Amino acid sequence: MTTPHMQRALYVDLTTGQTRVETIAPVLIEKLLGGRGIAAKILYDLVPKGADPLGPENVLILSTGALSGTGAPAAGRLCVTTKGAQTGVYLKTSAGGHFSPSLRALGYDYLVFCGASDRPVYVWIDRDGVRIRDASSLWGKGVRETTRTLSTGGSDRVEVGCIGPAGENGVRFANVMFSYYCSASRCGAGAVMGSKKLKAIAVDPAGTTVGVADPEAFLGAVRDAREAIYDDTLATQLYEFGTAADVDFFNELRSHPAYNFQRSYIDDPEGARRLSGRNWIPAGYLKRRRGCAGCPIACHRYTEVAEGPFTGSHSGGPQLETVNALGPRCGNTDVELVFRLNELCNDYGLDVSTTGSSIAWLMETYERGLLGEDVLDGIVPTWGDSEAMLALVDKIVKRDGVGDLLADGTREAAKRVGGDSWKWTAHGGKGLEITALELRSALSYALAFAVNVRGADHLLTETIAEFGGTKEAIAVMDRITGDAEKYCGGSVLEKRAEIVRWHEDIYAVSDALGICAFTTTAAYGIDEERAARLFSAGTGVSLSAEQLMKAGRRIVTLERCFNMREGLTRANDRIPWRMMNEVQEDVDPELDPIVTQEKLDTMLDEYYALHGWDPESGNPTRETLAELGLLDLLSERAVHA
Amino acid sequence: MAVRLVVNPERCTGCNSCVLACSFAHAKEYAFEKARVRTSRDAEYADARPRVCVQCAEAPCLAACPTGALSRTAETGAIAVDSDLCTGCGLCRAACPYDGIHWDATSKRPLICDLCGGEPECVQVCRFSKAITTRVVGEEDPA
Repeated sequence: MTTPHMQRALYVDLTTGQTRVETIAPVLIEKLLGGRGIAAKILYDLVPKGADPLGPENVLILSTGALSGTGAPAAGRLCVTTKGAQTGVYLKTSAGGHFSPSLRALGYDYLVFCGASDRPVYVWIDRDGVRIRDASSLWGKGVRETTRTLSTGGSDRVEVGCIGPAGENGVRFANVMFSYYCSASRCGAGAVMGSKKLKAIAVDPAGTTVGVADPEAFLGAVRDAREAIYDDTLATQLYEFGTAADVDFFNELRSHPAYNFQRSYIDDPEGARRLSGRNWIPAGYLKRRRGCAGCPIACHRYTEVAEGPFTGSHSGGPQLETVNALGPRCGNTDVELVFRLNELCNDYGLDVSTTGSSIAWLMETYERGLLGEDVLDGIVPTWGDSEAMLALVDKIVKRDGVGDLLADGTREAAKRVGGDSWKWTAHGGKGLEITALELRSALSYALAFAVNVRGADHLLTETIAEFGGTKEAIAVMDRITGDAEKYCGGSVLEKRAEIVRWHEDIYAVSDALGICAFTTTAAYGIDEERAARLFSAGTGVSLSAEQLMKAGRRIVTLERCFNMREGLTRANDRIPWRMMNEVQEDVDPELDPIVTQEKLDTMLDEYYALHGWDPESGNPTRETLAELGLLDLLSERAVHA
Repeated sequence: MAVRLVVNPERCTGCNSCVLACSFAHAKEYAFEKARVRTSRDAEYADARPRVCVQCAEAPCLAACPTGALSRTAETGAIAVDSDLCTGCGLCRAACPYDGIHWDATSKRPLICDLCGGEPECVQVCRFSKAITTRVVGEEDPA
């Protein structure tokens, strides 16, 4: 039986084919909780400074969470930790589905892949052990076929994580895909996996059992947490209509990026309505709501197109980010084209977000006359053109012609194209393109994106509370700032550091526990107290809410140390040039819709001060590391008991 | 107020919360093989449905049991298994039209929903999607 107070790591050396299992030192569970936290420590120890993300020195870590496999709400998340292929900096990405609890039930909290195989392999894990098997016949196959093939190899509970052709071909924003449609996306964990010639990992948890330290207390904590989620305003909406529920509403609010972030509105209200998740029910696209393991919310969708040019397209999703990236960001409002592109990206194992941003950047760069026909392979990349978008996705996956230009992300593409094209890239200071937030009227998000350790997006710090859009968000803002009425609002500059740090901490806790951040941020059902009750009863390691949040901060700081060692500084804590130099159109000038350097500096100064980081370098000071107990943790290779 | 389970398969999200809650309610641990509700899932097409006893008014499992090991519990209406009388023949499972009877590989006995004494845990954790709900005996099926 797997028990949450004992964590184990399975190391797989893909160069030699050897495996070994280690027990995690209990002190690490107390300090870093599990999941993302301990994976950060393993990565810090194993990947040397300057390592090539696509070389054998890089390490790929799949981590469950301290509560994975239990009935804690939404405890279906898996973290993937590595050095990012697109960014060359720290990468934590996470995925839903059913892989994580299945892996944990088998007694492995961490899968650590080192080295690289010289031929395609997949790893099969069940109660009888771990086997590395030949994957020659799977290499080149899509995610769907790979998953389907491996799923038939054991009981009816096999779960598969795999890469598609994008990861095999070294597209630097390739995903690892789990349970068919759940992506560990952004920054190219799939490319790292491909560089190791690791096609897939399949786990068969049949016959396994997961226990908790204090069943009675745990049941109480689970029931309480579930009730809070069921009562949450946004949780209800996420269930009913998914993350893309209100594209039309956000569009009207001028906060739905369009035309490569040049605008925050697309002048097609009917198209925006059709893109909205609410419309997918009457329009017949929504076939099923999908829940990751143990999730009361089930925000994920499963959609299908029944007629027209994309008849038969079906896939998990799309989520809001997908709708924007492959929709208005590229000037497209044909929802059925979004469904088709989403299906392709999922099957190729491509990050929808950077795929959309790359195409959008190409469209703008073409429009501005910086791209000659000689580099476009006959494609005419005009806004919203379906033929061009479909062709570009195909070329990116194959790294063919213009697709090869885009397959390293827009930072690298702009270097090759030159001129002012770098200004139209949507990456911050770490090489990752931003997600569908209008940062000029969402200052917490602007700060969160800037300081995000993996690059500028919302998926390590979801600060939606800043808008005060639900009663739960207002309550959170009250707790963080002491005065929600005063500090709610996307244009308010004060208290942004406090908002970001609280969300960072709780997000890190969520990832370490293996529960979805949609229960702790966005929907705010599980607060620190509830998380502490779940963790303590589940693991038997008794931590207060304060101690738990401090562990979250320790994780965030440890991740920062990885980047510090790589030489990153305050200069890398940025948001795209466009957000800092072009005033947002169509917005009341009273709201001052631009993030000036001055504004960003103000927020960064406050943020570093709050963390106890050095204001010049933006990096943790020795005193701060000591206060968090990280000096010892970083200097000792004390991962294992 | 006696209740019966109602399964709305098309509403199932495949999250397995019901399986986890059932296992924990009965065994104080999370083991799919201990659960009295299981799900069939085809994740490729997002197809999923809970498989659980729905306390049929005329239960084929009762008729199929050759040893009289199955009986209807008076208070709740749930089907109970007398593990002393049960020989583990499996005829009850074969007779169930809903594939709602599961198997405990350890005890070699059927696992049948006991309605948690009247307040089924699986229903509590299926609040949004309502793939498993209850109806009060004598009232119309809400589906």
